[in-house]
Amino acid sequence: MRATVTQVTRSARTGRAPLLLAAALAVAVPGILVSACSSQSGSGPAGGDAVSAAGRAAAAGKAPVAARRPATVRAVRLLTQAAQAAITTSYQGREIVTRWSQGSGSVLVSSIWHASGGQTVTQTMADGASLSNQSYLSSDTDGQSPEGVLGVTAPLVQLLESHYVVAYAGTGSADNRTAQVVEAWRSDGSMAARFWLDDATKLPLEREVFDTTAHVIGQDVFIDVSFATPRASPQQAAASASARVSADPQGPWTDPLSRHELLALRARGWPVPSELPGGLSLFTGAETKARAGTVLDLGYSDGLSVVSVFEQRGNLPASLTGWQKTKTGGHVVFVAEPDQRALTWSGHGMVFTMVADAPSQTVEAAIGALPHDGPTGFWKRMSRGLVRVASWVNPFH
Amino acid sequence: MSHLGDRLSALVDGELGGADRDRAHAHLAACEQCRAEAAELRTLKQKLRGLMDGAPAEAAMTSRLIAMTGPGGPMPPRHRLLRVVPGRRPAPPRPGSRRTWPGPRRRRYLVLGTVSLVVGLGTAAFTAGGGGDAAPGPRITPSVEMYSVEHAITTGEVPFPAPTAELSSGAPSP
Repeated sequence: MRATVTQVTRSARTGRAPLLLAAALAVAVPGILVSACSSQSGSGPAGGDAVSAAGRAAAAGKAPVAARRPATVRAVRLLTQAAQAAITTSYQGREIVTRWSQGSGSVLVSSIWHASGGQTVTQTMADGASLSNQSYLSSDTDGQSPEGVLGVTAPLVQLLESHYVVAYAGTGSADNRTAQVVEAWRSDGSMAARFWLDDATKLPLEREVFDTTAHVIGQDVFIDVSFATPRASPQQAAASASARVSADPQGPWTDPLSRHELLALRARGWPVPSELPGGLSLFTGAETKARAGTVLDLGYSDGLSVVSVFEQRGNLPASLTGWQKTKTGGHVVFVAEPDQRALTWSGHGMVFTMVADAPSQTVEAAIGALPHDGPTGFWKRMSRGLVRVASWVNPFH
Repeated sequence: MSHLGDRLSALVDGELGGADRDRAHAHLAACEQCRAEAAELRTLKQKLRGLMDGAPAEAAMTSRLIAMTGPGGPMPPRHRLLRVVPGRRPAPPRPGSRRTWPGPRRRRYLVLGTVSLVVGLGTAAFTAGGGGDAAPGPRITPSVEMYSVEHAITTGEVPFPAPTAELSSGAPSP
């Protein structure tokens, strides 16, 4: 077969060489021009070859090791350095968080102060119009899990490496600073995310997240960044003072529980799935004591999408102020306004609240994988009622 | 001389007729053993008939007892029975005061009572069966503010405002 192809090719070469040369140029020249333009435009990466290789590798499912390994190793090293820099570097600036979902978008603008190895203070505006009264102080006293680092933390970098093909994509620019660009590709060959890491400090400066159809569904941009130790301005001091109240209104969270400890919670009646649809793995969790009982936080991620599931025993009231009742994936849930990043519902004597940074399809699938109180049929309701009535008249109950 | 055997019981039962019956009588006149057996059979037959005659009386008593358990007033509480003064007997029922329920009326009351019980129990079960599968528990209002901060720590992103957070105008000034 191979010989036949070779023979035909040779025959074509001998008979139609000028025509083939023109066709090759017609295909190759626009491609070269497009590639050159994209590598020079704005903050785009300059390492197109490595990115293309990684993309082809991801598309093929098993990439040529020689083509993938150097870019991947460098990308993992850069992301690891970025996660560390987010802890050890002192910085301040403003972060613009934009999310698009199902034709609508939301924008948050946060001011961030972080001291090296210390805590992080964030002050958030909604829709870029109004400043929230609430400022949030990180409750991790050791400063090991700072907020506002564009999702670049050590655990998420590990998950990202295992769920996606990461590749170094060259240099670019973000916030008028030289940046190293790292991309994450899905196994189907589509790009999942692109990171801009500050060349000097490796601090994450920008992140774009794409869906499977190459549409941007999330963009986080760090602007007006300065790397000096943040001075405790009066505003910051006031923010910190109020933040201590707002961040932990019902008590501190425990240290992160291990996966083994989390799965052991099943024996105490907590629904703790080890995975959620969309390739989300259980990777962290914690507990806290609220007035109405224990609250369990379960963190699921694939390195890029993160879904936090909060569980608490009890039931939801009929209506919730600031929430809107809607139907998602066939289930009735409450959605928090205004940005709809939080959803809550009750099922099997438990209240589930999901806070998600993930595509809507992933969120919908994750909601469907957790318990719900479905519509009760007539006979099921009668059966349940008879049991309850019997329990009322049972003198030994 | 052969005895009557099986024909003796047929004779006692009056099942023999004609020449057989005459020959059996002639044999009985001459055979004392068969006469004695015939007498025993007749005695046994009379006793059985007597028992059968007593059965209708027993059946009537059973019917009366069943009628006494028909629809009527509620049974007195147990503690009232215990407080009856010893030696004081309840007044005997007046002649003709015993209530007898005619069959159709009794059935009507039975049907009515059964339907009432089913409808009442069904309504109570349907009402009690509402409210979902959840066992009674505390009413929870999710603390989105707290969850947002915890989620931000998990994700390395910024917390978002709670739904009920009051917003005021102004600009951030780090």
